[in-house]
Amino acid sequence: MPDELHTVEILPSQKKATVPRGSLLLDAAAKAGMVIDTPCGGQGRCGRCLVKVTQGQVIDPESPRLTPQQRADGWVLSCTARVGGDVSFVIPAQRERELIVVETATTRTAVPVQCDWPFYPTVRQFYAELPPPSLDSNAADLDRLQAYVAEKQGLTKLTVSPTLLPRLAATLREANWKVTLTVILEGGDQQARLIDISPGRKTGAIYAAAVDIGTTNVVIELVDLHQGKALGRVSSLNTQRSCGEDVISRIIYSERGNGLETLHRLVLETINGLLQEVAAQYKFETRDIHQMAVAGNTTMIHFFWGLPATYLRKEPYTPTATFFPEVPASHLGINMNPNGPVYCLPAVAAYVGGDITAGVLSSCLFKSNKLTLFLDMGTNGEIVLGNSEWMTTCACSAGPAFEGGGVRDGMRAIDGAIEEIRINSKTLEPTLGVIGGVPPQGICGSGMITGLAEMLITGVISRSGRMNLALPDTYPGRARIRPGEHGTEYVLAWASESGTGHDIVLTEVDIDNLIRTKAAIYAGIAVMARNLGIPLNSIEEVLIGGAFGKHINIEAAIQIGLLPDLPWDKYRFLGNTSVWGAYNVLFSKYARQQVEESARKMTYFELIADASFMDELTAASFLPHTNDALFPSVKAILK
Amino acid sequence: MPVEVPVEKWAGKVNEVTLGGNGRKSIVIGGETTLPFLKIDGAMPHRPAIAVEVDDVMPADWSPHLIAAWGDALKDPAVWAKKAAEYGADIIVLTLDSAHPERGNTGAAEAKKTVEKVLAAVDLPVIIIGPDVAEKDNEVLIAASSVGRGQRLALGNCVDKNYRSVAAACIADGHVAIAKTPIDINLAKQLNILICDIGLAPDAILMDPTTGGLGYGIEYTYSVMERLRLAALIGDKMTSMPMICDVGEESWRQKEARATSGVPATWGDHQERALAWEGITGVSLLNSGADIVVLQHPRTIALIKDAISKLMA
Repeated sequence: MPDELHTVEILPSQKKATVPRGSLLLDAAAKAGMVIDTPCGGQGRCGRCLVKVTQGQVIDPESPRLTPQQRADGWVLSCTARVGGDVSFVIPAQRERELIVVETATTRTAVPVQCDWPFYPTVRQFYAELPPPSLDSNAADLDRLQAYVAEKQGLTKLTVSPTLLPRLAATLREANWKVTLTVILEGGDQQARLIDISPGRKTGAIYAAAVDIGTTNVVIELVDLHQGKALGRVSSLNTQRSCGEDVISRIIYSERGNGLETLHRLVLETINGLLQEVAAQYKFETRDIHQMAVAGNTTMIHFFWGLPATYLRKEPYTPTATFFPEVPASHLGINMNPNGPVYCLPAVAAYVGGDITAGVLSSCLFKSNKLTLFLDMGTNGEIVLGNSEWMTTCACSAGPAFEGGGVRDGMRAIDGAIEEIRINSKTLEPTLGVIGGVPPQGICGSGMITGLAEMLITGVISRSGRMNLALPDTYPGRARIRPGEHGTEYVLAWASESGTGHDIVLTEVDIDNLIRTKAAIYAGIAVMARNLGIPLNSIEEVLIGGAFGKHINIEAAIQIGLLPDLPWDKYRFLGNTSVWGAYNVLFSKYARQQVEESARKMTYFELIADASFMDELTAASFLPHTNDALFPSVKAILK
Repeated sequence: MPVEVPVEKWAGKVNEVTLGGNGRKSIVIGGETTLPFLKIDGAMPHRPAIAVEVDDVMPADWSPHLIAAWGDALKDPAVWAKKAAEYGADIIVLTLDSAHPERGNTGAAEAKKTVEKVLAAVDLPVIIIGPDVAEKDNEVLIAASSVGRGQRLALGNCVDKNYRSVAAACIADGHVAIAKTPIDINLAKQLNILICDIGLAPDAILMDPTTGGLGYGIEYTYSVMERLRLAALIGDKMTSMPMICDVGEESWRQKEARATSGVPATWGDHQERALAWEGITGVSLLNSGADIVVLQHPRTIALIKDAISKLMA
């Protein structure tokens, strides 16, 4: 009976309206004077119009956007659920809605990487009261020290960093033989090297730094090896960016004049700057940082060491080393305890570096029983496929787009970055989610992915990424599509709404770069899986690490063809797995043993040597893909 | 003992595209359910068609052999088209070269006049090609489209930059679009998808995979065309468009067809060599799946016609 009328009550305001059976809850609410925002235009795509039914009947088409638990609790999308009887429902406050949406199936929030390694740091610090020498006992200072630690700490063999010797006598005497010793365990548990001696009793944190040298960003996690916990994180752009956006252009830069020295100096300046920043923030001296573990791609580690990178670029792509010796910080010029050891996580090959072995470690892929795909989406995209028994890996040059490079208004995932974009299909007007809730200053990787997906689905761009200038002016948002300096562009935020004073746009050139980036990653996955004879749909778990901020929208990433069209619940987003790998290595010597074992175990697959890669790349340079049979869920939406 | 010939049964079929009609002779292209001329596996219901190029201005850089063969007809596209019909063309390809900014920069008005004249001169199906500059292509092809409304012309070339306007004109006036991409199976398929996405029917699209002349990448073209055709036969709707190849242009511009002096004596008679270049390129591409070959020399028309008859027999 289409004419049957029902009463709808909106809570908590208790506003009421009478509407015909079958009305959308959204329209019923509007009739009662309550407007619910529908950023996607009421197509059930964004999940932002959630309401909670407390009483009565609704006709609710099942939406993958809600978890079974949420549906059981009465949550429905008001743009798809219809009145099926007298009904009461709650419209939650905007903020509460946002929180619920973030928890739903499509968006993957970075989950903290759990490290269940036994806490076993190699840096140890202890207080010592040495018996002062006398005529009866006038053994050398160092002998005295060695005898003490052998007796009290069971360290039968203590060596000393040579730089400590000149001040040893003075330090011991000035401190009245009461000192705090910092040692690093070497070899077995009875061997150690003295790396610091300071007067008096030092308590509190033993600082160490886990470093991720990304091509675009450098991140340092400050670690306390006394309590075994991460204290906080600082990050900055890699200042090497002025010498080229990606590893290849940096290597080319390194080959000119004193280019290599410049790159070496820049990365050290970046790291030293961050160490200073974190030390100031936590109020200690940088020389109290006693240990450092560094994860980075092979090129970054070569520059960190100041090694020539030319042979990484030239066939057959050979690094100087994949396993690097552990050296005192002074050897590399790092602003920390000069005797503190600096360890670089091992690489596998020229384009699969310590950032990836770090990821395999921190994501626990190395012990997974599931067929797992691990993706590190940085400027260089790396892929690992395998499980506890075998692992293959490859790398593809994705470009810096997702990290904000090569995109006009691209930026890192910090306050002011647009991290989510919804476009209303009826008006073509965008709704933006901005980190920190401030006026937008640019777009970060997650924002680009959702933006591209929304533009595709609403027809703002074609499947080749061209703006559709043929859209009629009847759409209020049509004015946002306009010719610009870099081809046609779509205005996400007008100058008056932005935090920069100029319009924030996505241009066709940006979109080309994004498509190239996503195509490289997808093609890499496709070619490697095919070579292993593994159909993509047999992958049981996909772990994502890399350049995205706090979360990644899996649905949008599938819609643009960045990720394979697998059920959303197979995806887990881990955030920066590289820095977590470095952290694990500091946290436990067993983790360090594991990362070295994993690095030896991984089989490297050279994409460039595969004739089908270019073909796959062109096929993937389309939205979502030239072969849309690979993306059934997207095909269904685009129809 | 009788030998059983293994038969490959394909699931897909090349689209059948009709050109002409509405008072004009019509021709159906495509429709294959087998690899070229391999009638054991399936059907090749329509013979590949021979199209002959006619330019709206006298070509400035053509070989003396072509100029001698066509004579004064080159000065008037209507006369040229009639002569081409007499030589056995199935289709006339009218190239509006004078619209090129560096070769006359004529506009919509001149294009209309030329197209009207050629359409009046012959009753064969007609293909109109723009000067290969996106904006000018849009201008003259849209003009040509309105003149030929209902006569199911083919308009080209649609490339990734201008496909929207050309395809929209085809939808409006009932024509066929030629989608041209640079020798790549994925790019070809992508352009077909884009054109279909804006509403042109798949059976109103021909694809030009871009031809490499003999000695200038023909094996690359050959293999891309072969892959496109295999994809179509497997059942991929977005590669099922019949293929058109610009054999004449790509053959006659090569050194072997042009050079009259400074070449080894063993290269033989210049004219025979040039004709062989166009003929071998044409036959090779027919064997890789071309449904329309565009030719330039009258003698090649006869040669290719004979080859098609023998291959179809």
